[in-house]
Amino acid sequence: MFASKGKKLLQGLLVLLVISMVAAGCSSNNTEKSADAGGAQATKTITMAWPRDIGPMNPHLYNPSQLLAQSMIYEPLVSYQDGKLVPALAESWTLSPDGKVYTFKIRSNVKFSDGTAFTAQLVKKNMDAVLHNKKLHTWLGMIPLIEKTEALDDTTFRLTLTESYYPALYDLAVVRPVRFLGEAGFPEDGDTSKGVKSPIGTGPWVLSEYKKDEAATFTPNPYYWGDKPKVDKVVVKVIPDAETRVLSFEKGDLDLIYGEGLISYDAYKELESTGKYVTKLSEPIATRNLVLNTMNAKLADLKVRQALSMGFNKEAMVEGVTLGLEEKADNILPPNLPYTNIKVTPVKYDVEQAKALLDEAGWKLPSGVDVREKDGQKLELELMYDKADQTMKAMAETLQAEWAGIGVNLKITGVELTVYIQRRKANEFDMNFYSTFGAPYDPHSFMTAVVQPGYGVSDTLAALPMKAAIDKKIKAAMATTDDKARTELFGSVLTTLQEQSSILPISYIKQMAVYRDNVAEFKFPSNRDEYPLHGTKKN
Amino acid sequence: MGVYIGKRVLAIIPILLFSSLLMFVMIRVGPVDPAEAYLAAAHIQPDDEVLAAKRHEFGLDQPLLTQYVQSVGRLLRLDFGHSYLSNMPVWGEVAQKLPATLQLASASIVLALVVSIPLGVLAAIYKNRLVDHVIRVFAYIGACVPVFWIGYLLMFFISVKLEWLPVEGRGSVQHLILPSITLALWLIAIYARLLRTTVLEELKEAYVRYARARGIKERVILYKYVLRIAIAPLITGLGINLGKLLTGAIIVEQVFSWPGFGRYFIEAIINRDIPVIQCYIMLSVCVIAGSNLIADLLQLFLDPRIARKGRASQG
Repeated sequence: MFASKGKKLLQGLLVLLVISMVAAGCSSNNTEKSADAGGAQATKTITMAWPRDIGPMNPHLYNPSQLLAQSMIYEPLVSYQDGKLVPALAESWTLSPDGKVYTFKIRSNVKFSDGTAFTAQLVKKNMDAVLHNKKLHTWLGMIPLIEKTEALDDTTFRLTLTESYYPALYDLAVVRPVRFLGEAGFPEDGDTSKGVKSPIGTGPWVLSEYKKDEAATFTPNPYYWGDKPKVDKVVVKVIPDAETRVLSFEKGDLDLIYGEGLISYDAYKELESTGKYVTKLSEPIATRNLVLNTMNAKLADLKVRQALSMGFNKEAMVEGVTLGLEEKADNILPPNLPYTNIKVTPVKYDVEQAKALLDEAGWKLPSGVDVREKDGQKLELELMYDKADQTMKAMAETLQAEWAGIGVNLKITGVELTVYIQRRKANEFDMNFYSTFGAPYDPHSFMTAVVQPGYGVSDTLAALPMKAAIDKKIKAAMATTDDKARTELFGSVLTTLQEQSSILPISYIKQMAVYRDNVAEFKFPSNRDEYPLHGTKKN
Repeated sequence: MGVYIGKRVLAIIPILLFSSLLMFVMIRVGPVDPAEAYLAAAHIQPDDEVLAAKRHEFGLDQPLLTQYVQSVGRLLRLDFGHSYLSNMPVWGEVAQKLPATLQLASASIVLALVVSIPLGVLAAIYKNRLVDHVIRVFAYIGACVPVFWIGYLLMFFISVKLEWLPVEGRGSVQHLILPSITLALWLIAIYARLLRTTVLEELKEAYVRYARARGIKERVILYKYVLRIAIAPLITGLGINLGKLLTGAIIVEQVFSWPGFGRYFIEAIINRDIPVIQCYIMLSVCVIAGSNLIADLLQLFLDPRIARKGRASQG
C-alpha cells in the first residue's frame, strides 16, 4: 500500500513540475529578444536595464514613478542644457522688472501623444493640479511662491509669484512635478495626486508595451514636435540586482547601462578592462562634501577645521575608494554649474602644517598619548554616515586612520538612512557627508540649504561669525533679476564658505555609462535626472 | 486522531497572535516612525504639521493597546492597508505577485525531490565508494555556498559563457530553469544526505534481513520496501524547510529579476514600506506554521502511533 502511495506521490510531483513548466511557457510574453542579437533586423532597439519598475508614470508625483520614464514621456516649459536655460515647450519668455511675473509664449505646433493640441490652458490645468497638492511639492522653492496661473490665450501662459525668485525657471526645468499631461490623462476630478488615467505626454516617446516589474517598451511619439528619436524602440528591463545587470550586459541582452549607482565601481573597471565596450564618465554632476559642525565647540575653531582639511590625503582617498571614478574636488559646488566658477586655492595635504595648526589652537599632544588634549578634554569627534553606502563607509574609515596620525580620535558611526536623516535634521552630529544636488537644482538648492535650517547645512554653519551676512547675500541673490549682481553675490558666499572650511569638498560625483560599440551618438544629459535616449543611435 | 488534529490547528492561533504582537512592538520601538517612513517614501518634506496629520491618520496618536487591537482586527479581515509607496492595497499587490513565487517554489521543490531521491539512494548503495564521495562533496558544497553566489555562478557559466539559457527575467520555461536550480540546490544537498542516512539505517533493519533470506532481489528490497519508508522523513523536512524556501526565494528573485513576492518585499524594506513588510511577515508565519502542521499531519497519516503517543502522554 505504501509502495503505491510513494509512487503516486512521485507521480503527483512530476505532474506538478510539468504543470509549472507549462504554466511558465504559457505566460510567456515573448519578451523582445533585442533586435541587436540578429543585427540584420530592420527594427533598431536599444535595450537597457533599470532597477525598478517604471511605475505609474504620473508626471506630478514621485516614487514609484521613475524619473527615467517621466523624462521620456513628459516635457518641461524650459530645459536645462550645458549650464543654460533653453526653450522647450515654451519657445520664449519674458520677466517683469520686479521679477514676479513670467510670461511664456507656448510653442504652437506641439501635440500630445494622443494627437490633441498642447495649449496654454493645459499648462494652467497641469500647474493647478500640482498646486492643488502644494504640500507635496514645497521642497521646490518656486511652488510656495506661486500666486496666480493664467492662460491669456492659446499660446500665452502667465505665472505670477508673490516675490521675486530667480530659480523659478530652473524649477520649471526639473523632471517632476511641473510637466504636462494631456487632457485625456486626467482623472475625472482633476486630482492627479490620486493617479492618472493614462500617461499622455508631449515627449519624444510613448509607452507601447508594458509588463509590470518585468519590462517596458517605448516607441517614438508619432506627433513629436522636435527631432525624431533615432531608434525605433527602447526596451527598459527591470533588473534589480547590480551584478545581474552586468552579466546580462555581458551576455548581450543589454545595449546600454546608464544611471547613477547602477553598477559598482569594480564592475565598471572590469567591463572597461575587457576593451570590448565603450565606457564613459560624465562631467562632475555634484560634489561629495564633508560637513564639519561649527556648533561643536571643538569644530567652532577655524584652525581645527583647517587642520582637519589639510590632515588627509584627499587625492589618494578618492582614487583608492572610488577607483578613480570620482575626481578629487576643490570646490564645494562643481564649477560647471551656473554662478559657481570661482577661483579657489586648493587645500594641500600637509600633515606637519595640520599638526602646527592644532598646536596653535591649543590642542597639544602630551607625550605618551595618541590623542590631543586641551583643558582636560580630548580631541574626539564623531563622523556619521549612511551605513548602506559603501563609498561613505570606506571614506569614513580612511579619515579615521588619517586623522589618527595628527592626534584626532575619530569615531565613525554607520546609521540607518532614516536615522541619518533624523539626526541631520536635528543637527545632532559632529560631521557627516553632504552631496550637492546637481543640475538643474544647484546652486540655488545648496544656497537654500545654507539659509534654511533642517537640511543639515544651515545649522552647522551657525557659529560662523559671518553667517548672518552669508544669509543676507543669498537672499539678495535669489531675489535679484540682475544676473551680474547674482554672480557676484553667490561668488562671494562660496568664497567665504570655502575659506571657512566648514564644508570640505572631497570628490566630484560623475555618471557612468557603458555600452556596446553599435550604440552611437551617446551624450550625457546636462540635467542630472534626464536620460540620454533621444539622440542616441544604434548602428 | 481528531482531537490531536484539532489541538494542532488551534495551536496556530497563539502563534499568530504572538507574531502580530512581536511585529507591532518591533515597529513601535524601531528607529523608523511609520508616519515619517510614509512621507519619506512619498518624497514629502516631513515638517511637523504634515507629520502630525499622518500620525493621526495612521492612528499612531491612539493608546498603544487600542492601536494593537485595531491592527489585529485589520489583520483578521486580511486588510494589510495600503502600500506607502504605490498607495495600492497591499493584499491586491501581493496577490498579483504570489503566482510567480509559487511557480518558482513549486518547481524548486519538485526539482529537489526528483534529484535528491536518486542521489541519496545512490550514495547509500555505493557507500564509501567514489559515487558516494562525489555526492557527499556535492551535498556539502550545496549546503554551504550562499544561494546568491550559486546564482551568479550559474548565470556566468550557463548563460553568459555557454549561452544556453537567459540570464534573468520570467516568461518561458528556459527562464525558470536557473532560478529553480539555484533555489533547489541546498534542498537537494540536505535531502540527499538525509536519504542516504535513512536508507542505510533501514538496510540494517530486520525486515531487510528476512527479505534477503527469502531470496528477494536486492533491487526489489530497495525500491519496494526500503525507499517507501526512507522517503517519509523527507516530507517532514519539506514542511520544516518551506519557510527557508521562502527566504531563499527572496534572494533568488532578486538575483534573477524574478517578479515575485520576494522582490516586492526587498523593495519594501528599502523604502520602509511598513504595511508591505507586515504583510510579508504575517504571511511567512502562516506559511511556516501551516506547512509544519501539514507535515505533522502527513507524518500522522503515515505513522498513526504519533497521535496515540500524544494521547497516552496526556494520560
